[in-house]
Amino acid sequence: MSQFFNQYFNFDVMREHFGEVLVGFLQNLLVFAVAAVLALALGLVLALLRQLPGRKLMPIRFLTIAYIDFFRAVPILIIILMISGGVPFLSFLPQEVRIPHWFGRPDPFWYGVAALVIVYGAFSAEVYRAGIEAVPRGQMEAARSLGMSHFQAMRYVVVPQGVTKIPAPMLNELISLLKDTTLVSVIALSESVLVSREVLSERLNSSSLTLTAIFFVIIILPLARVVDKLIARQQLKVTRGSHIEVA
Amino acid sequence: MRSTRLTASLAVFLLAIVSLVAVGCGSSNDTTGSSSGTGSGGEPLTVGSDIPYPPFEQGKSPNYEGFDIELMEAIGEKIGRTPEFQDTSFETIFRDVAQGKFEAVISAATITEEREKEVAFSDPYYLSEQAILVQEGSDVGGIEDLSGKTVGAQQGTTGLELGKEKADAGELRPYPEGPDAINALKAGTVEAVIIDAPVAQNAVEEEGGVEISEKVPTEESYGIALAKDNTELLEEINKGLEEVISDGTYKTIYEKWFHLEPPKEFLG
Repeated sequence: MSQFFNQYFNFDVMREHFGEVLVGFLQNLLVFAVAAVLALALGLVLALLRQLPGRKLMPIRFLTIAYIDFFRAVPILIIILMISGGVPFLSFLPQEVRIPHWFGRPDPFWYGVAALVIVYGAFSAEVYRAGIEAVPRGQMEAARSLGMSHFQAMRYVVVPQGVTKIPAPMLNELISLLKDTTLVSVIALSESVLVSREVLSERLNSSSLTLTAIFFVIIILPLARVVDKLIARQQLKVTRGSHIEVA
Repeated sequence: MRSTRLTASLAVFLLAIVSLVAVGCGSSNDTTGSSSGTGSGGEPLTVGSDIPYPPFEQGKSPNYEGFDIELMEAIGEKIGRTPEFQDTSFETIFRDVAQGKFEAVISAATITEEREKEVAFSDPYYLSEQAILVQEGSDVGGIEDLSGKTVGAQQGTTGLELGKEKADAGELRPYPEGPDAINALKAGTVEAVIIDAPVAQNAVEEEGGVEISEKVPTEESYGIALAKDNTELLEEINKGLEEVISDGTYKTIYEKWFHLEPPKEFLG
């Protein structure tokens, strides 16, 4: 038992390596920030493509659904490894795309961001879809009958109402995205888990991992409470019947 | 009606998964069962190793092979124990042997003071060198040319330590496994890899496209690691190793895996 505590709760090890692990954790936050913005944008585009009307646009709907299904099914770890191991060999791409060092970030950073955006784009598309489909059909019909195009109706009527319903599930996706940034450690991006494992092999002690876990808890717990608040507020709105009001 | 049909199909789906898993486990049990019978007999000796690390350890469970594996089997034969290898992660390997997860570790492990605080090492069974592995035609001539470059190594290894201490690298990337670092070199995402010389040599022979720019002697040697209190087994293993060296088995294994004659310390 004392061995267990020494292995995971050695405060000397935590103190001595606090700085390194924190710098690693900031790397996680940076990956998260970039990936989250891009994934939310990609998700919205995918969700809209999925809602396109008419027979002629069927192939686009089909491809979008195939994309979403595929990337929700394949483990992110595999996507990360394939991008990092494959993209550098795509010789038709220019060097700065194959091995990107944009904004002074190393290539594993961008491979990781790309993998997370690809996968979380698919997940967030499903969340947007839930929001869009929760808007009563009559809203779209009314908008079209006023002479709006499908795109205008989506842009001004359906999506603005749809997104008011989804902050809570979307925040859950983002929490999961933040945690999955640690997977990028397998392609040697010096984020918190990789740094902790370095400490582990140097000190033969796992307390640095505990420290990393604590960092994540500190960031994520408040977010989880926000999710609860949002759900409560949503419930209140629905019971008041104000959910069809354009936000 | 609809929901019962859904429940039924879900149940069939889960059943299918369970039976697949059961079949999988069954067959893998069969193979381990048959292979453990082919050893030299005697009590099994559980040995941890981080596989793959060719040519020291490679292959698929349970048919592992490589220099370390064969040496351990030869020692096992001398002391009447059959090694059973467990693939494990290098960064936790010493902690795990110290805690008794397996009895011994043979994993191209360099004997260091730091590690000796946690575990006991056998007599050296291999003298190690690090190599700077680069892409063919690279302008890196030696460790001093790594200044400012992106360099890869395996997490928790002496190659990484050497990189930290002697190479003024722009970025030093610790990969989970040695082959990951070599793949990154081939992909061009790192410009050099610091890794044990035989592993580098193996990459040059087996994969091509890479070459060794410099070998760095490290005055380091590999040992078999055991828990500190396991002195009895330590003595047995040291005696077994001595016999394996003196009767020439060591030389045979060494030449098979490294295509080189062993250093004079290891000639019987």
